[in-house]
Amino acid sequence: MIEKGKISALQMGLLMYHAILATGILFIPATVFNVAKQDIWISPILASPLGFLSVYIAYKLNKYYPKDTIMQYSKHILGTFWGKMLGLLLLLLLITSLSVMFWQYGEYVVSEFLPHTPKSVIIGMMVILCAFAVHGGLEVLGRLAGMVFPVFFLLFLVIIILVLPDVEVKRMLPVMENGLMPSLKGAWVLCTWFAQFGIIYFFLPFLTDREKGLKFGMLSVLVVTLTLVVTNIIVIWLFGNVTENFNAPFMSASRYISLAEFLSHLESIVMAIWIAGTFIKLCVFYYVVVIGTAEWLNLSDYRSLVLPMGFLIGVFAMQVFLNSAEAAEHFRIVSHEIMDTLVYGLLIPIFLLIVAYIRKTIFKHKVRRTN
Amino acid sequence: MRRAIMIGVIFMAFVLLTGCWDRRETNDLAIITGVALDKNKEGQIELTAEIHSPGGSGNGSGGGEDNNQGGVQSTVLQIGKGSSIPEAIENLNEKLPREILWSHAEAIVISKAFAENGISDELDFFVRHPEPRLRSYVFISDGKAKEIMALRPSLERSVSEALIKLAESEVLMKATLFDLMEMLKGEQGAIVLPMIDKLSPEEGQLPSESIAYIHRSAVLKQGKMIGVINDQISRGVLWFRNEINESIVTVEPDEADEIISMNLIKGRTDLVPEIDGQSLKMTVKIVTIDDVIQNQTSWDLKRLDKLKALENELVQKIEKCLTDTLDTVQKEMKIDIIGFGEEFRRHHPKKWKKIKGDWDEKFPTVQVDFDIDARVLRAGKGSET
Repeated sequence: MIEKGKISALQMGLLMYHAILATGILFIPATVFNVAKQDIWISPILASPLGFLSVYIAYKLNKYYPKDTIMQYSKHILGTFWGKMLGLLLLLLLITSLSVMFWQYGEYVVSEFLPHTPKSVIIGMMVILCAFAVHGGLEVLGRLAGMVFPVFFLLFLVIIILVLPDVEVKRMLPVMENGLMPSLKGAWVLCTWFAQFGIIYFFLPFLTDREKGLKFGMLSVLVVTLTLVVTNIIVIWLFGNVTENFNAPFMSASRYISLAEFLSHLESIVMAIWIAGTFIKLCVFYYVVVIGTAEWLNLSDYRSLVLPMGFLIGVFAMQVFLNSAEAAEHFRIVSHEIMDTLVYGLLIPIFLLIVAYIRKTIFKHKVRRTN
Repeated sequence: MRRAIMIGVIFMAFVLLTGCWDRRETNDLAIITGVALDKNKEGQIELTAEIHSPGGSGNGSGGGEDNNQGGVQSTVLQIGKGSSIPEAIENLNEKLPREILWSHAEAIVISKAFAENGISDELDFFVRHPEPRLRSYVFISDGKAKEIMALRPSLERSVSEALIKLAESEVLMKATLFDLMEMLKGEQGAIVLPMIDKLSPEEGQLPSESIAYIHRSAVLKQGKMIGVINDQISRGVLWFRNEINESIVTVEPDEADEIISMNLIKGRTDLVPEIDGQSLKMTVKIVTIDDVIQNQTSWDLKRLDKLKALENELVQKIEKCLTDTLDTVQKEMKIDIIGFGEEFRRHHPKKWKKIKGDWDEKFPTVQVDFDIDARVLRAGKGSET
C-alpha cells in the first residue's frame, strides 16, 4: 500500500462532507431554483438516495477487496489490461473534474471579491497550498477536515440565525405548485453533487475503524442533505422568486443581513467559510488524483507526483474555459447530458461490483486462481 | 546552504505580504450615498450622485453646524449623462477624481418622467452589480429627482440620509430594492413605491432649505408608472399588505361631537381567499390593538360600554379606509397592488392556474369581506370632563 497513514471513519465522513458541500452551498440553490422554483428544498431529499447508494456500493467493493483502492481492484476484477484502461478513464475524469473545480474557485473569487487580481495568482496560490496539504498525506487531510468542520458549521449557523429576522415563510407556498416534477428535475441536477460521494472508494482502505466506514459514510450523506435542505429553505424564505437573480444566493443572503444598522456586510464570513470548505474539497480531489495516478503507475510513493500534478492541474484550470459562456455550456452538459460525476461516482463502481459479484459467486475457482 | 534557502523563502514571502491586490484606500474613494435618476429632453439618462465629502463632516468640534449657514457641505453632487446607466456612470467617473464606491448608496430616487418610461431594464444594473445593496430604499420623485438631491436638510447630514430615516419610520409606504424586485417578479408585476415631494420653502428660507418628505405613492405596472394614490389610500394598501406599523386613527363618534385619537400598537392582516366556481371571494381578517392618545369627547372610557362603542367606531373607521382603498385600487385603477393574486396562488395553486391568464379582468370582480377585530387596551389617564 502506498499510503502509510490512517484516518478514522469520522474524519473520512468530514472529508466527504466538505468535498461535496463546499461548492454546493453557494451554487446549488440557484442552479436548482431554475427548475424547481420554490420547491428547491425538496430536491436534496429526493436526490440523497443516490448518495447513499454510491457510499453503499463503494463499501461493498471494499468488502471484497479490503486493502485495495479502486485502481487496484479494478485490475483484479477486470484483468490487468481492462483494469488499467478503466483506471485511465477514471483518472481522466477526475483530473478534468478537479481542474474545473479550481477554475470555479478562481472565477468566483475574481468575479465577486478581487476583480483586479489576476486569476493565475488566485488559482496558483490555492494549488500551492493544496499541494502542501496533499504532500502531508492523508492523516494531515483528515485532521484538517476535523479542524475546519466546527468553524464551518458554527459560522453557517450564525449566518442562518442572523438571516431569520428577514424571512417570510409564505414565500415557500404553494408547496409543489406544479406537482412533484419540478423538484424531481431539481433532484436530477443535484445528482452531480451526490454522485461525488462515490470517491469514498479511495478512502475506505485507509480506515482505522473499518467496520464504521459504512456508518460514517451514510452519516455524511445525511448531514450533507440536511445542510442543503436548511440552506435552500432559508434562501427561499428570504428571497422567494427573486432567487434566480443571484449566482450565489447564500452569499447574497449574507450580504442582505443588517442588524441594528451596524451588523451588516457579513459576506466576508461566508467567504471565509467557503474558502475553508473549498480548500478541503480541492485537497480531497487533489489527493485522490495523485494517489490514483501513483497506483495506476505502480509507483512506490505518491509524494513525488504532488507538484507535477499540481502544475498540470493549475495550468489546465487557467485555460479550461475562455469565457463565462463556454463555462455555462460545460456545466449545462455535465449536469444534464454527460454527467461525469455520475460516471466515476456511480456507474464505474456499479459495473465493477456486478463483475466482481459474478466472478466471486459464479466462477469461484477462477477468482482464486487470479488472486 | 539550507539557511540561505530559508532566508530566500522568507524574503519571497515579503513580496506577498505587501497587501491585497484589490486594496482601496478610503481617501481614494468617492463614497456615493444616494442616487437620483432623471431623463432629460433628449432622452438621455441623467444620474445624479450624492457623494460624501470627507471635508464636510467630523471636522473637529464645529461638525454639527456645518450644514446650516453656508458651512462646508457634507455632500457634493455630480451629474453623469448617458444613454444607459453604465454609460452615465462612466461619464460620472470622468468627472470624479476618485474611484466610485457604490456599497453605501442607500437611497435611489427616480423621477416621475423616468418611471413613466419604465424602470425594469435600468434596475438591472443595481441588481447585477455586486456593490449596491438590496436594502437601498427606492423612491419616486414628483418633480425632477436631482432637485430633491439638491436639498439641504437641516436635521440630517444629507438628503439621502433624511430619506432613509423617513422610510424607516414606516409612517407611509417604504420599498427597498429587494421589495421592488420581488414585486416586479410577482404574478402581476404590480408595484407601489413611495413618492417624495418637497415642501415649498417658508418665508425667509432659501429654496434649497426646504425639506423632502414622503407624500402619496406611485403605482407601477410592468415597470411603468401608471398612477398615483394619495396618503389615505396608501395606508389602506399597507393594511392589505400587512405592512402597517405606524398609524394614528381619529374617530368621531356620532353621539359625541368631538374626536378621539388612537395610536396603533399592533396591526395584523390575513387575507383568506376562496374560490367558489366562477366567483372569487377574499376575506380580510384584521386584528388591531390601539391605545387612546387623545380624548376630546365627554365619553368616560373607563366604562366598558363606552370602550366597546369606541372599538366599534374603530372597526368602522378601518373598514371605511379599506373600502375606499378598494374603490380606488380595484374598481378605478384595476391593478392588484394589494397582493390578492399572490394569495390566490398560494392557497389555491390549481385553480389559480385557470384564472391567472385573465386576472386583470377577474381582479375587479373579487368580492371582499371584512372581519375586523379592533381592541382598545388602554384608555390613558386623561381628564374625565
